[in-house]
Amino acid sequence: MINDIFNILLPQFVLGGFIILLLVLSMVLSPRLYKYARIITVVGISSAVACLSTVQTDPQYFGFRNSIMSDSYTLLFDFMILCCGFLVALLSKNLVQKHKRSAFTYFAILLTAIFGAMNIVSANDFLTLLVSVELLGFSTYFLLSVSKGYHSKEAAFKYLITSAVSTGIFLFGVSYLYGVTGSLNFTTIYEYITKNETSLIYTISAIMIILGLASKLAVFPFANWVIDVYKGTETSTLAYLSTIPKLAMFGIICRLMVFPLSNSFEIVFVIAVLSLITALWANTYAIREKNVKVILACSSSANASYALLTASLVSVYNLSTVIFYLICYVIMNIGVFAYLNMYGDEKSFDVNAFKGIYHKNHGHTALYTILIIGLAGIPITSGFIAKIYLFTAIANSGLVFVPFLLGLLLLMVLALFYYLKILMPLFSEYDKNTTVEKFNTNFSQKFVVAVSAIITVLLGICPEMLIELCRFIAYNI
Amino acid sequence: MNMLLSVPFLVFLPLVISILIMSPLFTSNEVIVRRFSKSVFGFHFLYTVIMLIFFSSANPYTADINMFGLDWIQSLGVKFSLKIDTISMILITLTSFIFFMSSVSSKFNIRKNHKFYYSMLMLLESAILGIFTASDMFLFFLFWELEMVPAYFLIGGNFVENYKYQEDAKKSAIKFILFTFFGSMFMLLGILLLHYYNFVSNGILSASFADITDITIPITIQMLIAVCMLIGFGVKLPIIPLHTWLPDAHTNAPTPVSMVLAGILLKTGAYGIYRFNYEMLPQTFKIIAPVLALLALINIIYTAFVCYAQTDIKRIVAYSSISNMGLVLLGLCAINQIGLTASVFHMVSHGLVTCGLFMIAGIVYLRFKNRNIDTVRGVAAVMPRLFGFAVLIVLASIGLPLFAPFISEVLTVIGAMNSDISVFIRFAALFSLPLLILSSCYMLKFLHNCFYGEVTEEYVKVNDLAVHEFFVLASILGALIIFGLYPNSIIGMFG
Repeated sequence: MINDIFNILLPQFVLGGFIILLLVLSMVLSPRLYKYARIITVVGISSAVACLSTVQTDPQYFGFRNSIMSDSYTLLFDFMILCCGFLVALLSKNLVQKHKRSAFTYFAILLTAIFGAMNIVSANDFLTLLVSVELLGFSTYFLLSVSKGYHSKEAAFKYLITSAVSTGIFLFGVSYLYGVTGSLNFTTIYEYITKNETSLIYTISAIMIILGLASKLAVFPFANWVIDVYKGTETSTLAYLSTIPKLAMFGIICRLMVFPLSNSFEIVFVIAVLSLITALWANTYAIREKNVKVILACSSSANASYALLTASLVSVYNLSTVIFYLICYVIMNIGVFAYLNMYGDEKSFDVNAFKGIYHKNHGHTALYTILIIGLAGIPITSGFIAKIYLFTAIANSGLVFVPFLLGLLLLMVLALFYYLKILMPLFSEYDKNTTVEKFNTNFSQKFVVAVSAIITVLLGICPEMLIELCRFIAYNI
Repeated sequence: MNMLLSVPFLVFLPLVISILIMSPLFTSNEVIVRRFSKSVFGFHFLYTVIMLIFFSSANPYTADINMFGLDWIQSLGVKFSLKIDTISMILITLTSFIFFMSSVSSKFNIRKNHKFYYSMLMLLESAILGIFTASDMFLFFLFWELEMVPAYFLIGGNFVENYKYQEDAKKSAIKFILFTFFGSMFMLLGILLLHYYNFVSNGILSASFADITDITIPITIQMLIAVCMLIGFGVKLPIIPLHTWLPDAHTNAPTPVSMVLAGILLKTGAYGIYRFNYEMLPQTFKIIAPVLALLALINIIYTAFVCYAQTDIKRIVAYSSISNMGLVLLGLCAINQIGLTASVFHMVSHGLVTCGLFMIAGIVYLRFKNRNIDTVRGVAAVMPRLFGFAVLIVLASIGLPLFAPFISEVLTVIGAMNSDISVFIRFAALFSLPLLILSSCYMLKFLHNCFYGEVTEEYVKVNDLAVHEFFVLASILGALIIFGLYPNSIIGMFG
């Protein structure tokens, strides 16, 4: 037991310690000292990153009666989740300034969400997975409802209901699977499946499990929440919402697809079709939309669906492309929301409200342009390489999937249209009677935007090292 | 001397300068930015000419770039490798020349956002040179996509003062980028399939042009790939149903940008068809060629009629370039040495001609604030020098002897007539001959309407050509005459 903690769970335990510390401080300290909350959080996440070095990865390590595991794959995802958490904590400055009373609680919940996300990736048991998913879901609910006002409450409530329904579906699937295999443990289920023939009930349960998990990625039957939630949420929380739950969910879905729910063609086909429908829905919805946040919501949904489609065509090569794509995408997304955070949460997010902003904020807007261009998949950004790499995976999966690939490619043309809609007003001349203000920025926002833009360009020019890393991890899973 | 000639320098010099100009440290003084960019373009042109002089098709220039000691994307077999062979060399020289001309002619046209404009122009040159030199499919695709970004900003950007067509220009820019992206997505599909099936059937994980062979790939898949590629390049060329972005973009863009678009950008489409369909997938190209020849014929005849109905000078030139690109396509469809030579020759001569025609249209618009051939009258009376150049360049575009287009058009028809692929291509060649008559109809209509007649009172005192305009027109005309009198300078390069 103690061995298990020191071998795999030390980072989580460190985070847990900091969560308790923050909660205690929230009761003890006066709200005037709110600034320390962010510092404590950043220290906590950094020490968790440092503790990642103690995690045993080679060979795979199973702990707590096989309910939690660790290998290089979980290590990478944990690292990415912690990095995103670090950047989100940096970005939260403006938010907690407005809600000084809840500053400590806010960061405690943020750390809880990170804790949950890390546990999701390293779960080796459906029960552990369920608990971690709920931990992530509820923390997200609280994070969404931190700010005051009707929209924020609406967003949080919608999120709560959707995640409750999707958890229900997930549990339903798990119960069927338990009925078929008699176990909740991934390893046992995998052994059972390799020995026995798959049945219809097994296929249905697998699809339900994946769908229940994918609702957090906004995949088709549960995609609608994304619009209202993004519309009503502060940008720093969006930076969280569009990265950490995505990483966690992709982490577990890829592992489930490769391991316990290994493929029958029906599962692959259903998930591929659903991803395609999601991409179609998201891209067409965004065309008529005028709110930048909603456009980004659709883009996040669409991007997730591209990756999910690739992940569903199970192969090790595909897995490596999905990991690479996720990393690039997450980095770009955080940068985009950091820029919107600079822009200010109180202002209108209508596309036209951004008119002429470039003329007052050259540097930041140029970096933002790079990030948006990266999301659209245009060179010389990591988005271009990631998309090409992802699509090679689909093309290599066989002629059956060529129509899917063609569909995705054509949808990317639509995607380009709405990305242009975001970009165009930035550079246009502003009206003489309105004024464009220079952003009131702080160091952490500038840091996040600059880091993500630089990484985006660097990966676009020299992607080889990261690709090698992803391949290494995918082959070791 | 060969030590000094480097392909990466040729391709990436404009990119580096573009970043330099864009950086906030660089001066924002308009005159300095303009003169600096002009001299860079001039230097680049000189450098290209030196390369051309030392070029021999026996040992083409090649360069492999390893970034941080790594191949670009090893796991896909993608290399950052550049190569210049005969056709690339000719097109690179043309690119460099037209960009130089365009930058010189920007003086009166571009009045705002100088830094952004010149940096985008440099970026565009770099991307186009990349397309012409890339010898790896994914690298080719990278440059192909990269080229859209500066082109988009150049077409839709706010560079001209009190420009009547500014709003239209923005819309055209979006139309341009969506069409191109649509095409390039098909192209990407083609590239991915070609890459994968080449790997499956030949066992070499490589995206290099040299490693692709079509012999072992199943013919149906080859056909699929070829059609995808043709859609991709057909948007750029343009082939008829995919052409609607072109007249808008070319008409509404600022004049120097139109010169670049018509002069070079269209040629990337033809170059792509040559590289991918003609060279890498010859089996399917033989099957597709008659169909393409039909499309080329439609391009030639249909747009010539459309062109005759236009009233905007720039629109006339834009449609005439679609018509002429049909001729380039026809030359490629012949699948023989004469056809290929003629098609490359026609790319050069047509590039020069449209560049000159757009220049004339731009000069007329600058002076008269109007581009409608029904209302502009009597330019010849007030601008005799422009009239001289206009007559010569219009005659060249019609295809009169002494000028380059004459040689290339005749060669194309000869090439297509000699084609042994299908009787159909010979028919297409025969029916494309009326182009010569039709082009003289619309071009002479433009000349008559605008240049003759009485000039209205308010325009009596417009200035004739300025020095830089004279320089541009004279250089273009000089090049046209040189290639017209001594066509062997290009034909000879093919050996």
